[in-house]
Amino acid sequence: MSTDDIVDDLTRDTQNAPAELLTRSFFFVCAVLSIVTTVSIVVLLVTEAAKFFSITAPLMGVEGPTASLVDFLTGTTWEIGNRKFGVLALVSATLMITIGSAIIALPLGVATAIYLSEYAAPRHRAFLKPALEILAGIPTVVYGFFALIYITPAIQTVLPGTGTFNLLSASIVVGIMIIPMVASISEDAMSAVPDELRQAGYGMGATKFDVSTGIVVPAALSGIFSSFILALSRAIGETMAVTIAAGSQAQFLNPIDPTAYQEGALPMTAAMVQLLLGDITGGGLAYRSLFAIGLTLFVITLVMNVISDLIAQRYREEY
Amino acid sequence: MATGTRSDDIENFGTVSKAVGTVFRYVLLAATLFGIVVLGALLVYVANDAIQPLTADPGWHLTFLLTLVLPTLGVGGYLYRRDTDALRFGATTVGMTVVTLMFAGGVGMIFVDILSPFVLLAYTVGLALPFAAVLVLQRRARRIPFLTRAGVTTLAFYGSLFGLPGPVGTAVGVPTIVPGVPGLIRSVPTIPLGWMSLTATLGLGVAALVGVYAARVRTRRAGLFAGVGALAVIATSGVLGPFVGVTSVPAVVLASVAVVPTVVYAAGTVASRPSQRVGMLVPAVVIGGTLVGEVAVGALGFAGPQSWVDWQFLTSAHSRNAIDAGLYPAIGGSILLMGTVAVLSFPLGVGAAVYLEEYAPDNRFTRVIDVNISNLAGVPSVVYGLLGLGVFVTYLGRSTGTVLIGGATLALLILPIVIISSREAIRSVPNEMRQASYGMGATKWQTVRRVVLPRAFPGILTGTILALGRAIGETAPLIMIGAPSVLFSLPTGLSSKVSAMPLQVFAWSSLFASEDFYTKAVPAGVVVLVSVLLAMNSVAIVLRNRYQSEQ
Repeated sequence: MSTDDIVDDLTRDTQNAPAELLTRSFFFVCAVLSIVTTVSIVVLLVTEAAKFFSITAPLMGVEGPTASLVDFLTGTTWEIGNRKFGVLALVSATLMITIGSAIIALPLGVATAIYLSEYAAPRHRAFLKPALEILAGIPTVVYGFFALIYITPAIQTVLPGTGTFNLLSASIVVGIMIIPMVASISEDAMSAVPDELRQAGYGMGATKFDVSTGIVVPAALSGIFSSFILALSRAIGETMAVTIAAGSQAQFLNPIDPTAYQEGALPMTAAMVQLLLGDITGGGLAYRSLFAIGLTLFVITLVMNVISDLIAQRYREEY
Repeated sequence: MATGTRSDDIENFGTVSKAVGTVFRYVLLAATLFGIVVLGALLVYVANDAIQPLTADPGWHLTFLLTLVLPTLGVGGYLYRRDTDALRFGATTVGMTVVTLMFAGGVGMIFVDILSPFVLLAYTVGLALPFAAVLVLQRRARRIPFLTRAGVTTLAFYGSLFGLPGPVGTAVGVPTIVPGVPGLIRSVPTIPLGWMSLTATLGLGVAALVGVYAARVRTRRAGLFAGVGALAVIATSGVLGPFVGVTSVPAVVLASVAVVPTVVYAAGTVASRPSQRVGMLVPAVVIGGTLVGEVAVGALGFAGPQSWVDWQFLTSAHSRNAIDAGLYPAIGGSILLMGTVAVLSFPLGVGAAVYLEEYAPDNRFTRVIDVNISNLAGVPSVVYGLLGLGVFVTYLGRSTGTVLIGGATLALLILPIVIISSREAIRSVPNEMRQASYGMGATKWQTVRRVVLPRAFPGILTGTILALGRAIGETAPLIMIGAPSVLFSLPTGLSSKVSAMPLQVFAWSSLFASEDFYTKAVPAGVVVLVSVLLAMNSVAIVLRNRYQSEQ
């Protein structure tokens, strides 16, 4: 081997060697796939939903029955047979599930986070954290069955007027399901509060209670709020539990009326499952309404995720 | 008076009422336990409905109390006070036995009903030949340019699997002249028995792993002995299985997936940490107690509980009659879906994580990808189902509800979770190790392959298992892509219709809603589904704890 060869070998440009280029481009393609996924979700939902509304359908070259965008956004009756597509009936049910599950999950989740981050001994944490993870890992269809078979009869003994399908039982299981999400994100935020702040509090003579509620929680507030919004967006998108437990009869209910929770209704996600299980053929109006609901759902959850991100970033205390 | 108050004040200075703090603390604890306790109670209810322990004879309970429960509690209590490390080792062995048995059930199902062992043998040989050839080539001639090497490798694998010129040739109208190795093997008139093929593939692989493990713990000699021994055990199980009532193929699977790994783990730990030897009492008591109890119950004629989770439920298909309904096609569907999801999401997820952590420049585009991934993680699963329906079914014109479409949709769903957890694992690799590797003159790819990925692997694996658990429990996307809720036979390939365990449970609890299904088939299905998920979650948690304590 000549000296030239050795010098050549030692100084070769490794950054653009074929093996490097090949692997780097593979990894790059993997990362770009996530963008492709998002773009295809958006394009698919928008084009299919556009075929549904009478304003945009001619642009898409669709003939046949369409639905009015105004009626879709402001109507309160959802009856596919009568071609009444008022999404508010579905949104109201989703909103009620969200409110109901928030009442359960937000206080419990924050309390869990405070306990885990401030009070629990390491031994107890080692047991509680996996247990909470399992709470989040149980399939939602199982939660739905629990709501229908065990929780609804229990509710009926207390509130006799409750229907077999009701929003209350669905809210309870969705609430239990999202506790771990609130707890783990809030706990991360609380653990990120520097110890100096706590020590300063103790130095001033504050008790552990004062430090937890007066120092740690306010300092972690942005993280706690962003966990709330993420958990609620999960509750909105939750499908199987509400499909099984909340019923199949779409009706517009008043979300701030407590007795309305005893009735059954049809949330957005459950309506999508119902549409799919019914006999719908590709291209029909009912099929396209599926994408209109999907787009509504996607926009709502996306906006909530973005807000949660913004809160976490803007109000994050830098220590 | 005034002086009295002042001295009271002084005496009370520095004392604070503990009442508020104590109450607060217990309120927090109650809130933490609320969800766990509610879920625990619901699981007890559903297990009671499914297994019906109260229908058993009192004598049955008494026998198992004496042979299984009391000895286990005794040994457990003794070890808990004496040596918790040994107890942990013993409990891990028992857990590993249970998990590997479940896993063996799934693998056995694949080889009995989906994939014939002979086909596996044909493809294994078809892959092994070019692999060996490439290895030899690399040993002999080190200074081949990369592109030549890549080309030769690709050509060798392609030729071996599909023959020459193969499908590409067929596409342009040239007939295949040299057949591929799998085709060649499959055209041989005498085919070996199923269990032999399985021993030569699965058994040989397991034995090789055992050998490598033993060689690492002890010496090369020990590794050789262990490997040969494992292979002998697996082969013997195929011969002896039929005599004890297990057909050969499941017996080989059982030996290679459950028995050999568990025994090797136990033996390896005992050999490397003799102080924990006493922990072997736990599996001895649990397994021995179960066997003794079973024999005693049979001899004394005590009837067990009328459980709905029984062999019939696990091995038969759906029926309109709740008592005859079973989960078999759904279990098979879940296994195939999980395999497809793992194959698709693991390389893509890890690849994206490697790019973002190791390669990505800090610019706007990277930040867009970053934000986009966290938003994708928040997209509802039903929307992913719509994506699968719209893209694969409507636009690409595939038929609805197949294994491939279901797997691809679920893979897209868990991809963000895999990426996020893999990134965390890669980030936890200390930077010094990368710098050391670069300092030795390694390229970026060499560093990633030899330093970063091996070190991050346990973390990546944990995240992937948890994500797969999420995928196996998902129902909505499968409904959206049109998976049939009732299926009477196992899917046989990637393009056949698939059902899944949660989908079957949903069908029973909504489409076939009746008191009979609510009290029999659905609880049984829920128990099976939750057991599988608990097994997967505990494997992930044990892996993570071990990995974190090592770091």
